[in-house]
Amino acid sequence: MNDLRDPRKTFGEALVEAAQNNPNIVAISADSSSGSGMTPFQQRFPDRHIEFGIMEQGIMGFSAGLATTGKIPFVVAIAPFVTARPFEMFRNDLGYMRQNVKVVGRCAGLTYSDLGATHQSLDDIAIIRTIPGVTVINPGDPVDIVKAVHAAAAHIGPVYIKIGSPKMPVLMDEDYPFQIGRGVVMQEGADVTIIGTGTVLSKAAEAARILKQKGIGARLINMHTIKPLDRELVLKAARETGKIVTVEEGYLAGGLGSCIAEFLVTEHPVPMKMIGIDDLFCDTGPYEDLLAMYGLQGDKIAKTVEQFLG
Amino acid sequence: MQKLTKKEKTELEKIAVQNRKNVLRLMKAGRMGHIGGALSAIDILTALYFKIMRVDSQKPNWPQRDRFVLSAGHKCLALYATLAQKGFFSHAILDTYGALCSKLGGHPDMYKVPGVETNTGALGHGLSIAGGMAMGLKMDGLDARVYVIMGDGELAEGSNWEAAAAASHHKLDNLLVFVDRNHLQISGPTVDVMSYEPLDKRWQAFGWSVREIDGHDLKQIVENATDIPFEKGRPSVIIADTVKSKGLSFAENKVDYHYWKATDEDLAIAQRELDEIEGGISE
Repeated sequence: MNDLRDPRKTFGEALVEAAQNNPNIVAISADSSSGSGMTPFQQRFPDRHIEFGIMEQGIMGFSAGLATTGKIPFVVAIAPFVTARPFEMFRNDLGYMRQNVKVVGRCAGLTYSDLGATHQSLDDIAIIRTIPGVTVINPGDPVDIVKAVHAAAAHIGPVYIKIGSPKMPVLMDEDYPFQIGRGVVMQEGADVTIIGTGTVLSKAAEAARILKQKGIGARLINMHTIKPLDRELVLKAARETGKIVTVEEGYLAGGLGSCIAEFLVTEHPVPMKMIGIDDLFCDTGPYEDLLAMYGLQGDKIAKTVEQFLG
Repeated sequence: MQKLTKKEKTELEKIAVQNRKNVLRLMKAGRMGHIGGALSAIDILTALYFKIMRVDSQKPNWPQRDRFVLSAGHKCLALYATLAQKGFFSHAILDTYGALCSKLGGHPDMYKVPGVETNTGALGHGLSIAGGMAMGLKMDGLDARVYVIMGDGELAEGSNWEAAAAASHHKLDNLLVFVDRNHLQISGPTVDVMSYEPLDKRWQAFGWSVREIDGHDLKQIVENATDIPFEKGRPSVIIADTVKSKGLSFAENKVDYHYWKATDEDLAIAQRELDEIEGGISE
């Protein structure tokens, strides 16, 4: 847990690497490049970095148009401004038109903890996953971020990637085989399965460790792809452990827990506990304190799981 | 600039009537549709596809082709009519309009209709998409151009002005917009519903080079649209003064015909009127 890396810097470096291999990749900025870790991209590929100013509706359409000519735009800005604000452009211009555009929402979840509800992005997964054909990736650590960028660049079709802002611990092996739509079992266990995603995967991992010390065997899954959901892995966990807990830094309505519940309720219903934000605009304050307040720190998650298990 | 001879103009007028007849054929099949805007824009579409744009109906995805974006997607009857006339698909498909799962829906679908470049319908999307196309073509060193038809009511959508600013900032002089200024929208005269005046100055202020023409005069359309960029380094816009439902006397300039639910009697009158216009040209 000591290897902490900046998610935006990590993203920006991965994008440069991907762009070296693929000349069609272009970066789209809505006055958002420097805050998105894209300064190295801009320096390295000035002709492939396109600035639009604060124009988040416009950049969706421009990106779709660029994609029709074979470019692979990476649109990167503060998460709510590339999801909730231009939702119809995302849906029609990228989704309905099936354009090969990658949208990256950064400082997502509560990570813009001090800036409040206008800048926190808790609904992005719920709304973007309603768009047919859009892949939704929520990387759980810096290794996932790098792999998600390369996977998104190689994937043909619209992709949404959600990344945070504070430094994240490295949880995954650098050489693990990341595949869109395939979750990863990080720890085995037979009593319950904890499925974590994105910025709070490390908190879910901490909870699994605490539970293990108490003799509770929690299987831990990194569900880095929300859509398409790894149904096989979820079904296996439901069958083998009989109970599922989901952990996410987002609204319970429509989020990861909701996705899994929608699937399991018809395929193999098991008791579930969903940990996340329940139908409110969140407060401001230091990030780690906010997570604790909303029950998203490792010890709180462990306690919730214990109560759930009874 | 491409000068249009009298003979060429007459030929184009004949095609325009034929395209209007294709619209009527669609209406006969589907019985309802956005006729008003289709017929105000159809002379522009006729000129674009038959005199201005570099397209090949047998190679609809040819990378060097000029692109057309119907930002006001509800005018799609005119686009379907023109694409069929140009040979992108068979006229027989026009007869499926309104049927279950027809390729020709109430708004255009690029994956169903050969020659359609974008999925429009929600207003205020087309100009951004066209701007991206123009930008991508320039980045690839291609000399292809991107043409757009927007409605005048559509201009109230703020996203258009984001796109207008970006197209000018990025010097997309391979982009030409037609504003189909038919002066009417669902709730009444466009300037009363949400005024865009002074329209020419508004585009100029956004960095565009502006011309105003009669949007039913094929000579004016062709001669101006083949003269782009009007100014090097600037996107061009033609404000085309048009008449809603142009060609159907009973429907011209009437808001009620924004979306027309046609009766057999209406369709028979429309057919007679278009036949008369066609007869008038051949005289």
